[in-house]
Amino acid sequence: MKTKISQILIAVVVFAAVIFAGINFFQSTSTEPTAQAEPEVSEVVETPALFPVTITSAGFETTIEEEPISLVSLSPSATEILFAIGAGGQVIAVDSLSNYPETAPISQLNSFDPNVESILAFNPDLVILNLNSMKANEVREALDKLGIPVLMEQAPDDMEGVYQEIRVIGTATGKLANAEELITQMQQRRAEILESVKDVSPVNFFHELDNTLYSVTSSTFIGSVYKDFGLINVADGAEGADQSGYPQISAEYLVSENPQLIFLADAQYGETVEIVSARAGWSQIDAVVNSKVIELPADIPSRWGPRIIDFYQIIADSLK
Amino acid sequence: MTKLQPDSEFKPIWNIRITLISALVLVLVAILAISMGPVALEFTKIVKTLLGLEGGLEGRERTLLLQIRLPRVVLGALVGAALATSGMVYQTVFRNPLADPYLLGTAAGAGLGATIAITSTNNSFNPALPIFAFIGGAAAVAATFLVSGRYFSNPGVLLLSGIAVGSFASAIQIYLQQRNTEVLRPVYSWILGQLTVSDWNDVKWAALYIFFALIILFRISKLLDGLMLSDEEAFSLGVSPNKIRIIAVVAATLATATAVSVSGLIGFVGIIVPHIIKGITRRVTNRALPTIALAGAAFLVLADLGARTLIAPAELPIGVITAFIGAPFFLFILRTTKGGLK
Repeated sequence: MKTKISQILIAVVVFAAVIFAGINFFQSTSTEPTAQAEPEVSEVVETPALFPVTITSAGFETTIEEEPISLVSLSPSATEILFAIGAGGQVIAVDSLSNYPETAPISQLNSFDPNVESILAFNPDLVILNLNSMKANEVREALDKLGIPVLMEQAPDDMEGVYQEIRVIGTATGKLANAEELITQMQQRRAEILESVKDVSPVNFFHELDNTLYSVTSSTFIGSVYKDFGLINVADGAEGADQSGYPQISAEYLVSENPQLIFLADAQYGETVEIVSARAGWSQIDAVVNSKVIELPADIPSRWGPRIIDFYQIIADSLK
Repeated sequence: MTKLQPDSEFKPIWNIRITLISALVLVLVAILAISMGPVALEFTKIVKTLLGLEGGLEGRERTLLLQIRLPRVVLGALVGAALATSGMVYQTVFRNPLADPYLLGTAAGAGLGATIAITSTNNSFNPALPIFAFIGGAAAVAATFLVSGRYFSNPGVLLLSGIAVGSFASAIQIYLQQRNTEVLRPVYSWILGQLTVSDWNDVKWAALYIFFALIILFRISKLLDGLMLSDEEAFSLGVSPNKIRIIAVVAATLATATAVSVSGLIGFVGIIVPHIIKGITRRVTNRALPTIALAGAAFLVLADLGARTLIAPAELPIGVITAFIGAPFFLFILRTTKGGLK
């Protein structure tokens, strides 16, 4: 009898171990890096002739000898910028998440966990890599050894950071004039949008990243956009609990804060107004009562490319 | 336990041929591993480059081979050798066929130590990492051993203790990780258990610690065989069981901790490889340690080759491959050793 019990016990343990290994695997493949390095001001040093050029971005210096003609972008935001400033023709491959614009040469390259050899297979003359990719520094060093310059980028803190990255990418591709033009357009549109709602009184809101109520504080880039409207972020109340800027909010706290606006960044993963309205306690929230739950379009709030202005427009529309 | 005793009157304790075959397999697997990858390299040129002959690879391809592929293969071999050898040693010391660095909590403890090192220095690999990992790993083994008390040779008790200790260490590690989000990235990339970007600097430090530990274990392999007997019998053969036990566990933990600190958490190698060698040779002896090390090296290089080619150009975490093969194998061992459960 005793033997039987211990056998069952062992079976349970082994089963748990296998399940655990499985969970680990799936977590490891789906976890997004949420850490953000300390912001560093990027600066551009321009020489009269466009190339060679030395650029400091995300704390790393990159020298580009000639105008890149086979560029690999491992950042969906950088991809959008490249195509918006007319450097799309210089791009040979973009990572598997760079789904915009449709003309971008999407590949199976993994931007979260970059593989040096797979990048090398495209024989690029410039690689754009996000500082938050796994082993970003090691990947940069390995590509450096292979004689391939790497332009590092990082998630910006605010719109100034967005403009700075556009300038950096413009400089790196010899399209600085186009980049400046794009920045001016974006600045104008943003100013117009903010002007259009300047008389609206500030209300509180909740930005939902996923259905376990992860959110963003005002210290993140997404949070900074809401801050531009003077809105009050309910996630800021959880700031002390989590230094990352991406805290998990308790359901109880959320209901008691009673946000006037709810933005669903997880609409692209299937959350809808109907689903969230049916959540326990949510029928008491003003945003639900007043139909002020907004399903955000895929990728727009999370990318610091030209389309971020569309995000401003969506917020402005929700305030009217 | 007497069935484990090598029947040395009739056969030599160890047959050198098995060792040579293992070495040959390792060489073949290593050649296969450096010849395959997203960038196609000409095989004859690879061989010429490695042998330092004229007409080998040049420029970017040469750098790719010597600076990116080769260190990864060498590191994989070192990690495999370390994990397989320490698996065998743990199985001997605990007189427990299911002892494994992963299941004993050593790996999780080493993980905690490494996380402490990363969170305090903000560096994904530094020479101090194996030392921190070693302290964490050693503490975890000691805890597992203490928790199991005098039932340590019962696979069930030891396993449950190891899992409890490992979970505890993982919990602290995750807590540290969440409190230090600025270094989340290096910690994550380390936990995933990959050899993706290895350079010779990692290899250099890992080799130093692993070779040191393995040489100690190889030298005491005869004494380790004594531990397979009961303590009284071992003592009568002139072996001080506890002294050997401590040296063996310390050395095996150093090897495991170094492996964990360079490659993350890779499970089951320490179970699969020793049991395969035992199965092939039908001998249970620690004289097989160098052979197990070679076979472990070959196994991990092969698993890593799978990790980077099965869903190329994406990569699978190598721990997924070893667990995929290892978990069913583990069940098999469990079934065949159930007579040992009391």
